[in-house]
Amino acid sequence: MSRSLAVVPHLVRMYVRTRLEYRGAMLLAWFAQALSYAATYTAIALLLLRFGNLGGWTWSEMALLLSFHLLAYSLGASLSFTQFRDIEEKVRLGTLDAVLIKPVSPWVYLVFSGLNIGYAGHIILAVGLMAWAVTEVAVDWSILTALYFVAGLLSAAMVTAAIMTMIGATALVWVRSKHLFSIFFGFWELARYPLNIFPVPLQILMLTIAPLGFLAFVPVAVTLGRPVPLLGDWAALTSLLAGPLAVTLGALHWRHCIQNYQGAGG
Amino acid sequence: MRAASYPAFALTAFQSRLVYRNQVWASAFGDLVSIFARIAILTAAFAGAAQVDGITLPEMVTYALLSGPLLYWEYSRVLYDVGDAVRTGDVAVFLLKPLHYPSYLLSTHSGHFAFECVAIVVPVALIVGFTVGLLPPASLFHGLMFFPYWAVSWLILFILACLCGLLAFWLLTAFSLEWFLMAIMSLFSGAIIPLWFLPTPLATLFGYLPFAWISYYPAAVYLGKLDVTATWLHLGIGLFWLTVLSAAVLALWAKARHRLIVQGG
Repeated sequence: MSRSLAVVPHLVRMYVRTRLEYRGAMLLAWFAQALSYAATYTAIALLLLRFGNLGGWTWSEMALLLSFHLLAYSLGASLSFTQFRDIEEKVRLGTLDAVLIKPVSPWVYLVFSGLNIGYAGHIILAVGLMAWAVTEVAVDWSILTALYFVAGLLSAAMVTAAIMTMIGATALVWVRSKHLFSIFFGFWELARYPLNIFPVPLQILMLTIAPLGFLAFVPVAVTLGRPVPLLGDWAALTSLLAGPLAVTLGALHWRHCIQNYQGAGG
Repeated sequence: MRAASYPAFALTAFQSRLVYRNQVWASAFGDLVSIFARIAILTAAFAGAAQVDGITLPEMVTYALLSGPLLYWEYSRVLYDVGDAVRTGDVAVFLLKPLHYPSYLLSTHSGHFAFECVAIVVPVALIVGFTVGLLPPASLFHGLMFFPYWAVSWLILFILACLCGLLAFWLLTAFSLEWFLMAIMSLFSGAIIPLWFLPTPLATLFGYLPFAWISYYPAAVYLGKLDVTATWLHLGIGLFWLTVLSAAVLALWAKARHRLIVQGG
């Protein structure tokens, strides 16, 4: 374990140096991604400008929800998305075998040898929007509220990383799992809106099997003092437990898939 | 290469998609989740109002289906095809073949689009139609005119994706270009918010840009929001934009193929 952790800074440094070889492309990608999210958020803002609110949520509350959603996703996905999206190709070509025989945990190696600094554009936009939104929403900020907000953010990032790990790990058994990311991103898009506007079956789905309701809505609704459907008074506690629980399930699934990995060929 | 040979590329692309059945299920499920989410968002936005700015909720639900899965197709595949061909050097192979690369892309991606229509869009539309209900065209004229608008929409989006893809010859990456195009589409095409809900100055400005012919105008024509004269006029303007953009692609391709440097060759 300690040997795995000792190698992390070296893996990260190597990967960051490779990305910095193409600084222009990297900066352009940061800008383009931030611009794309900003355009979508502008469209949502224009919709709210016309209709006044969405399920009772005003624009400043929606801005907090959108920024929380983007920041939590970026933190979790920087540790998981590209790494586990590409695992299918490694399985198909057999190059995953080279990762498995390294004297370091395969998960640690995969995650940190591909730590995605490409999410910087997302993070800059999310932090900027969040900084504006927290001053606009009617929340009586205290140390406890702030601590809950940060803990909820970390828990939400853990949910993202755990689900992506599970999807990627599935490729070790099924060979193909990239298509499952389409389903993930379907629910991910829903998670940027208040959960109370969706039908009850979808609410149940987003708090259980596809727990992306915890990615932004539940922690932000608790912070704003808004009612959380289905969870009620348990919302604060469950939003903090969702991350560690998802990580535990993710670790178990990863271990199961690694143990049952047989390669893509004969 | 004879023009008659190009449909073979479309057929091959169509057949190649049949192999990846799991992707079809996943995409159809993703589209269904997305369209039902949009319907829920619109229902919440209307908040029980019979109509807003002269638009009813059933009209908006129909607009959401038309402007989403039907008109706003998966154009990123075009960008990645061109980007990968430039990055890997495979584009050199296309230059050696007796074919016109942009025409090859057009044929291939029309095959992909036909597959997506048959395997994803039609089933999703049927499910939405039977569960939520979709409005028929406002009149026979508007229903018939939707088809040329649909063709113009598809071609404009394809050409915009091609233009961005060809810029990879200079930038050597299509990744950022895809995100730039996504940003433009989110705001200007009407895929997320129709122009009739925008402030008047913005709606007027966006209404003249070619992006509005991708989602907004075809759906507005289907719903009968343009009268007969305006329908013909806007089809003419759409064809004008299509001509301008096609000329831009051909000019860019003429420049791009003369500056190609394949690494290691």
